Amino acid sequence: MAIAEPTNNSPSYIDKLVVPGDVVLDLSSMSNQTIKLGGGLRQDCDSITAMKAGMLRFSKPNKYWVESSQKRYVPSAGDAVLGIVVDTKAENFLIDIKGPALAYLPVLAFEGGTRRNIPKFEVGTLIYVRVVKANIGMNPDLSCMDASGKAAEFGPLKDGYMFETSTGLSRMLLSSPACPVLEALGKKLSFEIAVGLNGRVWVNAAAPSTVILVSNAIMNSETLTSVQQKLMVDKLLQRTQ
Amino acid sequence: MEIDRADGRTANQLRPLACSRNVLNRAHGSASWSQGETKVLAAVYGPKAGTNKNENPEKACFEVIWKPKTGQIGKAEKEYEMILKRTIQSICLLNVNPNTTTSIIIQVVHDDGALLPCAINAACAALVDASIPMKHLAVAICCCVAQNGYVILDPSKLEEQTFKAFAYLVFPNSIISLPSEASPKPVSEPMEHGIITSVTRGVMPVDDYFHCLDRGRAATSKLSDFLRKNLHLQTPTDPSKAG
Repeated sequence: MAIAEPTNNSPSYIDKLVVPGDVVLDLSSMSNQTIKLGGGLRQDCDSITAMKAGMLRFSKPNKYWVESSQKRYVPSAGDAVLGIVVDTKAENFLIDIKGPALAYLPVLAFEGGTRRNIPKFEVGTLIYVRVVKANIGMNPDLSCMDASGKAAEFGPLKDGYMFETSTGLSRMLLSSPACPVLEALGKKLSFEIAVGLNGRVWVNAAAPSTVILVSNAIMNSETLTSVQQKLMVDKLLQRTQ
Repeated sequence: MEIDRADGRTANQLRPLACSRNVLNRAHGSASWSQGETKVLAAVYGPKAGTNKNENPEKACFEVIWKPKTGQIGKAEKEYEMILKRTIQSICLLNVNPNTTTSIIIQVVHDDGALLPCAINAACAALVDASIPMKHLAVAICCCVAQNGYVILDPSKLEEQTFKAFAYLVFPNSIISLPSEASPKPVSEPMEHGIITSVTRGVMPVDDYFHCLDRGRAATSKLSDFLRKNLHLQTPTDPSKAG
């Protein structure tokens, strides 16, 4: 396939769709530079190739990654996710975070946690946790405290309703400035929401009808533009009020 | 030397291709691929923790389940499962998610010739939909050899049964890469000229087999382009939503 070349620079695939196998960077032409590779890219001797299909993104000074939306989650340190307790052991809770391996939440990783006040979580409890360590081949480590040791809203989520979406939708809900769907819903309704980067969203409100409305609005908004999202929310609200 | 094909195609002409991804709600990745009347649905679940006892825990494990349209599962299905498993193992990166199992389920919706290539294409599209890390994509094609050494591509079921031999060939897809500014590396052969899998049925002379390879390779560029365009269409890009 011929590639059209601009006059001065070599063609770059930044902000373009790449498929697995595409060579996105040639390292032999850049030496003495540090490059940080995010998800979806791997180094193959002197070239950087894509492992996943998605948009290639670049952020200054030197970070490259492939952005794609999928139903499973690739654990990475620093993410806030919603996990479900699968089992309790002596030292850890085993949590399912929709990744390739179960994650461990140490029983002492809570604010003011000591051996005497270990929380009792039943199997199936929904917990808002932070990923501390996520290395290849190891089970991820979680914590219910933020980096400075405070509770900061982490912990079990009571009542409400949890549904699963794709990771792309979770990122859109957490983007700043505020996502159009949430803004439009927040103007008329009052509800609580917790979004995990692993594709799980928890919604709680006083009335079940509000919970259903908010969940449906979020699930429908994945492929809509911001204008379409506002229109969709307006239509849904008109029908109920 | 011209051969008249029943549906009026030329020797190198493929049947109309259609591919849709994310067709199943519960599967982590899914795709349906059809070439003419042959249609296959592929679903991918995973990666999930744990591997079988026999498998190496330092690598990701793949298991394939082939479901025929009718009838019980027999030896032919097991053979297809094995061929698909080996093909997928050679295109996927096995060390990114060690000690995990990814299941691929193939459901035959209709069989009108070139079933295994259609299934391989569907499985590859489903793996991309599930974001399983891969080295490159695979495109599969079926070539038939006639009595007089004439090679035709993408046969229908009737043609497969009447011709004396056919071969299923799987090639890597054509990749785009930045032209290297430094001294050009001695390129022995571009990667698209490699071959991943070859399954033959019937008897054919060696020269005819090499003709099949050449014709198949030439046709895979069309398939690669189709797959790439399809992947572009179905990933929604909305710069206003980028966070």
